Amino acid sequence: MSQLATVSSFVEGAPPGELADVIADIKNLTIDNPSLLSQLGTAFEKYNEEQFATVKLPGSSQHVIVSSHNSLGDGRYYDVESSSGFAFDHSTQKASEVQSYVLESSQSDLVKSLLKSLATHTKEHYPNASYGVYPIENDSKIAVLVVANKYSPNNFWNGRWRSLYIYSPSSSQLEGSMKVDVHYYEDGNVRLLTTKPVSSSISSASAATIIREITVAEKKYQEEVNKGFNSLSEGAFKGLRRQLPITRQKIEWDKIAGYRLGQDIGGGSSKR
Amino acid sequence: MAEVDQFDSALDLLRRLDPKHTSTHLNSLISLVPSLTEDLLSSVDQPLTIARCRKTGRDYLLCDYNRDGDSYRSPWSGEFETPSGGSGLGGADDQGNNEGAGDGAVPSERVRKMEIRANEAFDVYRELYYEGGVSSVYFWNLDDGFAGVVLLKKVATPSGKSEGTWDSIHVFEAVDRARTAHYKLTSTVILHLSTNSDNLGEMDLSGNMTRQIESDLPVDDDTSHIANIGKLVEDMELKMRNLLQEVYFGKAKDVVGDLRSIAPLTEANRDKATHQEMINSMKR
Repeated sequence: MSQLATVSSFVEGAPPGELADVIADIKNLTIDNPSLLSQLGTAFEKYNEEQFATVKLPGSSQHVIVSSHNSLGDGRYYDVESSSGFAFDHSTQKASEVQSYVLESSQSDLVKSLLKSLATHTKEHYPNASYGVYPIENDSKIAVLVVANKYSPNNFWNGRWRSLYIYSPSSSQLEGSMKVDVHYYEDGNVRLLTTKPVSSSISSASAATIIREITVAEKKYQEEVNKGFNSLSEGAFKGLRRQLPITRQKIEWDKIAGYRLGQDIGGGSSKR
Repeated sequence: MAEVDQFDSALDLLRRLDPKHTSTHLNSLISLVPSLTEDLLSSVDQPLTIARCRKTGRDYLLCDYNRDGDSYRSPWSGEFETPSGGSGLGGADDQGNNEGAGDGAVPSERVRKMEIRANEAFDVYRELYYEGGVSSVYFWNLDDGFAGVVLLKKVATPSGKSEGTWDSIHVFEAVDRARTAHYKLTSTVILHLSTNSDNLGEMDLSGNMTRQIESDLPVDDDTSHIANIGKLVEDMELKMRNLLQEVYFGKAKDVVGDLRSIAPLTEANRDKATHQEMINSMKR
């Protein structure tokens, strides 16, 4: 692997809200080869677009999304709700050069009613979410994005929920995925990574129907994730190490030599 | 100073990147900054590898502390085994040193005797707590005592689609004092869990946590050392198991709930307000 590919993979692996920390580490580690950092533009762009980076536009309180679905090219992106286009710096994650951007699309009406329904949905289920709806592939499809972040670096954890749905009016199909990424790093490094594909057919092409389908899928998924925690806790985790021996007593280490005589406990190589 | 800085940055990066692929990240870091190789290999814990002792047929665990080049010392035979099938006694390097860890180190006769007993004791411990798995203990001499590492590994596949791996790495120093010894224990548990199904998709919960303690305990003879280390490791593992349970199934789940609420937030906020009202009315 080239050095550029190596450091690019570090960027790609940055946990939610920790890109700046990862960049600082890379900067230190490549001090003898400073040109590497300046070659990371593509990696930063890929990271931000895949993670649905959010940014506050100058003069606005709302966070808007950066993704491949609302890219205007040349590092510019647009937001439908605020009718703005903006430049995005992928290494500092800051926006600038905001200009008016009016969506011109044969799907404008559906996009706007989807945004309205999505606003209600996200407000009901996400304490802090950004969302976007964008026509893609020459107005043949519509992308619906939701991203929710919660960063608590002082308590050593950060989290991100990402939903992406692509609605295709011609086939009435909704395809996409929901992903959760949680990082906990107090005296350790623990990561939860989940991903679930979504695929369903939509009975009528109304915004309300599409968002209802999304609401149901997300609720069902979150319940499954909670069940997943329980099944891992009760299953795999318990199967690894007991809390106490079957006798419910800690070992009497002074008598440990006698344990082997008293009990047939089997050899180390026979079972794993 | 730059090197110290770079080492910290490397550790910081390893604390952030996906812990399921620590070994890959470690190799990347080493190729990026070769001068950090030794420091990183000796301070970053990786999942343990299992080998089978050619002399006794028993499984043992490989780590940096029983390594000599590409050979590893089996705790059951005490001999170094090369990947090609040879074995040797390890021992002195060019300068005549054969103490310390790694690099072909072998413990002195007294410490090897303790090491044999510790392996027997932790084999019992392993069976009682892990009901399977593999354990290995390696000791080495220090100028004012001895040190060692207690390793435990278990792989579980309770149902077809879930899997779990537990690696414990307990590194300790025992410094002799009059009638007591001062123990310093650094413990890391690497825990990987994953499951998948049509409804759930893929769910992976992986990571590692490290804790340290120091303790002075009475010592009558060498047998006391085994009992003391046993107790320290047993208490530490109980503590860490509880901690892992809290972080993996409590904290991580709570954060998901903080990101997205299953119950509608207006409803949840109303409940909260009602609750607050009740508390306020009771205060009156």
